[in-house]
Amino acid sequence: MIGAISTPVIIEACKKSSITDGSNTSGSGTAGTTASTNGTCTVAPTETEGPFPTKVPASYVRSDITDGRTGYKLTVKITIGNLNNSCAGLAGAIVDIWHCDADGNYSEYGGSGMQSTNYQSVHFLRGRQTTDANGLVTFTSIFPGWYSGRATHIHVHVYNAAGTSLMVTQIAFPEGAGTSLALVNGYSKGMTGYTYNNADNVFSDDKTGVEIATVTGSLAAGFDLTFKVNVKA
Amino acid sequence: MSKKVITLCYRKIIDFTNTSPWDKFVHEDSFAEFKMQAQFYNQEKQCTTFAEMLLNVPDAEKLHFLVSASITGYLRQLNGIIPDVLDNLGRRFLTFENFKFEIINSDINEPEKHKVAINFFSKPLVWHDTIDNLLLVSQFKATKEEEVLTNLFQVQPFVSIHAIKNIN
Repeated sequence: MIGAISTPVIIEACKKSSITDGSNTSGSGTAGTTASTNGTCTVAPTETEGPFPTKVPASYVRSDITDGRTGYKLTVKITIGNLNNSCAGLAGAIVDIWHCDADGNYSEYGGSGMQSTNYQSVHFLRGRQTTDANGLVTFTSIFPGWYSGRATHIHVHVYNAAGTSLMVTQIAFPEGAGTSLALVNGYSKGMTGYTYNNADNVFSDDKTGVEIATVTGSLAAGFDLTFKVNVKA
Repeated sequence: MSKKVITLCYRKIIDFTNTSPWDKFVHEDSFAEFKMQAQFYNQEKQCTTFAEMLLNVPDAEKLHFLVSASITGYLRQLNGIIPDVLDNLGRRFLTFENFKFEIINSDINEPEKHKVAINFFSKPLVWHDTIDNLLLVSQFKATKEEEVLTNLFQVQPFVSIHAIKNIN
């Protein structure tokens, strides 16, 4: 019977009789509680109990999502507007963003299997913030890299305060000479083989540029991105 | 003389029957995160269970990873010590940095169906000897020492040897 961490730990005083105790093969998952001296004894956990655990938010909930990834600094300011309220700022909305690092890699397990990751840094470049009274969230990150087949982009998922999904979208970057995209120049990859917005399978149908953010700044000082997303809340 | 260096894995299963506070936080928070993240993989609203999503929606496999962010804060609260697994002296003795989180199954409407597993991978250990069903191990260190401090622990359910290598 699996999932039985919760079954009561059977703690018996060491018995002189040798009863064959099958409890250590019951699949209970209460571990290491049988020693083998006189037949069967169970070793009770005998450590000082630590402080009770405290409720902790998901590791997404942070404004700085860099997690040690190197790259040009990028401040991301997203405003959520409510279509049901003349696009006025929507307060209390949950906004998740995620994007790839300078090499074009996302934080996620590569495929199946028992690949393990370090719990300190497993969710790099993923973040969650709640909009303020003006519908604004701010993240500190790095300018994304790119990967084959896609233009540089940032994923955005907007939920209402109860966690109901309102919109999933992506932010595109302005292109052309002197833009941040041109200055960053794909980091060490360069831009050979890059997919520009008009060829990108997500952005190519955006004729008015509504999916393109405003980006200012420099390589030395870092970049600032601002973007407005309207949802029906 | 060569020695065997092993990594142990402890697979901790948590469902709605778990009563300890840490387990309950993991269950509740991972369920709330599952309900949020699953919406992206259930946009037609055809599925109610994780099993259905895995069968019908490409990339629903990513939910294991995406939901794991809800519990990494609780992993941090363990201070690097693997819970539950005791040595023959009744103490926790295994330390970890790496983990893998799994959603075993879940249902967006029924928290009682939500069941997850956390796989804890121990830091490397030297496997010295086996006595009955007890393994004698010590922390693997690069430096050679005459005498090492050891732990004796019982081979038990949900604990396995995950990897092994021979070192000279």
